[in-house]
Amino acid sequence: MILYYFIIAAVLSIATLTLKKKAVTGVIMAVFLSVQLAFTVYACIHKGETELGYFQFDSLGLIFLIVLTIVASATVYHGFKYFKNRITRRFFYYHAALIGLITAISGAYLANEATVVWIMVEATTLTASVLIYHEKTKYSLEATWKYIFLCSTGIAFAYMGILFLSMTLNGEGFQGLTFASIAQAALHADPLYLKIAFVFIFIGYSTKMEIFPMHTVAIDANSVAPSPVGALISTAMVNMGFVIVFRLYLALSATSIFDWMNHILIISGVLSILVAAGYMLKAKHNKRMLAYSSLENMGMVAIALGVGGVGYYAAILLLVAHSFVKSSLFFQMGQLYRVLNTMKLDNSGNYMKLHPAGALVLIIGMFSILAIPPSGLFVSEYLIFRSLIFNDNWIVMIITLMLLFCVLYAMSVRIMHIVFSEPRTQMNLAVSEKIHPAETITQFVFLAVVLIMCFYRPLALDQLIYESIAFLPK
Amino acid sequence: MLNFLIVIFAVTLIYISVAERFRAYAKLIAAQGILLMGIALLELKEVNTANLVFIVAETLIFKTIVVPYLLFKIIGRTGIYKVHAKALPGFYSLILSLLALVLSIIMANALVNQYIDGVYLTIALFTLFTGVLLIVTHKLLLSHMIGFLVIENAVFMFSMALGNEMAMLINIGILLDIFVSVLIISILINQIGSKLNKMEAESLNTLKN
Repeated sequence: MILYYFIIAAVLSIATLTLKKKAVTGVIMAVFLSVQLAFTVYACIHKGETELGYFQFDSLGLIFLIVLTIVASATVYHGFKYFKNRITRRFFYYHAALIGLITAISGAYLANEATVVWIMVEATTLTASVLIYHEKTKYSLEATWKYIFLCSTGIAFAYMGILFLSMTLNGEGFQGLTFASIAQAALHADPLYLKIAFVFIFIGYSTKMEIFPMHTVAIDANSVAPSPVGALISTAMVNMGFVIVFRLYLALSATSIFDWMNHILIISGVLSILVAAGYMLKAKHNKRMLAYSSLENMGMVAIALGVGGVGYYAAILLLVAHSFVKSSLFFQMGQLYRVLNTMKLDNSGNYMKLHPAGALVLIIGMFSILAIPPSGLFVSEYLIFRSLIFNDNWIVMIITLMLLFCVLYAMSVRIMHIVFSEPRTQMNLAVSEKIHPAETITQFVFLAVVLIMCFYRPLALDQLIYESIAFLPK
Repeated sequence: MLNFLIVIFAVTLIYISVAERFRAYAKLIAAQGILLMGIALLELKEVNTANLVFIVAETLIFKTIVVPYLLFKIIGRTGIYKVHAKALPGFYSLILSLLALVLSIIMANALVNQYIDGVYLTIALFTLFTGVLLIVTHKLLLSHMIGFLVIENAVFMFSMALGNEMAMLINIGILLDIFVSVLIISILINQIGSKLNKMEAESLNTLKN
């Protein structure tokens, strides 16, 4: 089935580029989303099975595949809205690349072999760069250059990490680079090599996971890419980075470097939140603020993973909830740009008067992303702090809490300014667009899901999460 | 013969660290392509013929001909022949390069085991450090591009350190070269030159908070 999925996606992507008709592209995207949905359902039904030898429908992959399919549907919808009143010259490249990106991310979620994962990640870099460069401005050129350059360097580092793994596992009855065989062979491998491999791979994929040290590339990409693309990059792509790091972490969790990996994750997590807090306090660009918020949330995820215990559960739950909130906020930023014709904070204001439904999304989204009850993220962050206390990680907990207060202050002040205050400089409302409230429905639905997650989480979701973390040390 | 090629490769790395003209960079990248082909040809005897042909063709066609050709095209189109005036002087670059070589030898000695060739590991680490140094100490985007290409060669050398076992990985590493290097160079040629007045890294420093 996965082979057919890849083939159909490739055919649809090529058809978008060759047919070049707007109505036909609409049909193609509808067909693609149907295929994506069918593939997701198929993967859920065939849970645990392996296809083509390199792709496994395991619980972790399924969680994020389901999230991707939901977020991708809204992304396609908002993509069409984004092109309203715009030059459509690059409309076809946009959609062809979008199909490629969604497909590559799906493949990366399910790949069970380090080199296949790496190829999929490479494909996401190539397709995402087309989307980031979409508006062809000086800024998008800069963001694209940095994205390709840093991601490629990062991926080269990840590749060297994979080679280091191969070097150390070569003589240990090593059967290949599937995560299962890495886990088996790593038990007897040289810890020094495992450490080097982990550091290289972690640094390499930190470009995708939007986490310290190579987080900057994604910040620029998110701020420049069209808002629907930003939504996908800061959720599905980030989840992809997590899935890869998590699989390697899981494979090496039974070795002697387990505690050392935890320290690396916690250090990286705290530094991510530190950087995010610092930059958010001086953020003047609305989408960059959201991008730094992603960095902060991924920092929390890394800490959760490093601290262990209920932190494992919290990490995955946080990612699921974050995907829905962050994507709805990015979609809303797209609408905000259509109304205010700016992304600069100083030029933004009076949004409640100009687009009340959108302003409501921003307020609910702000509460949700800051993990203020009744947000689903609150449950995750509560569990993370509980885990930190349980493990006597008081210093990490205090530092993290202080930094989170900075993030809370920075974001709430900015969102409140956009919604209620007069703009600090003259607004240009000459090209302001009137947006029908119905266009925000998807955002309200996503936010409602996150609010419900505070009180109720489907048993199926809990089961998938518990299955994903079942083999980690308690 | 193999050791001779490896030593020559190390010399090109030292040369690339101190070179100040982009034509010299392009020629050195081409030379490294030929050397990598020779090393692959001599080293990977047990790899099946198809893989070997693939590797050799890519090092010869891609690393030795296509990439240097594109680099020369960029140099001609942008009219930038020398590194930035504020780039680190050659003497200091040489000192850094030699320090990187010493560090590589020490690290390789600490890391080597029975499955890895210590010589390849040393050169791979040295190539990696040289690429990173080029990116860190230079200001022009073209220098960064050269640094990236050198890092790609480091990946190839790491693959060689694994010897005959990992032919598939080597192929994938080469695919990375093809996709990414060509893409980056194409952007550099087609877009950056026409959109920016200067090819300096500072020109791509407008995205701020």
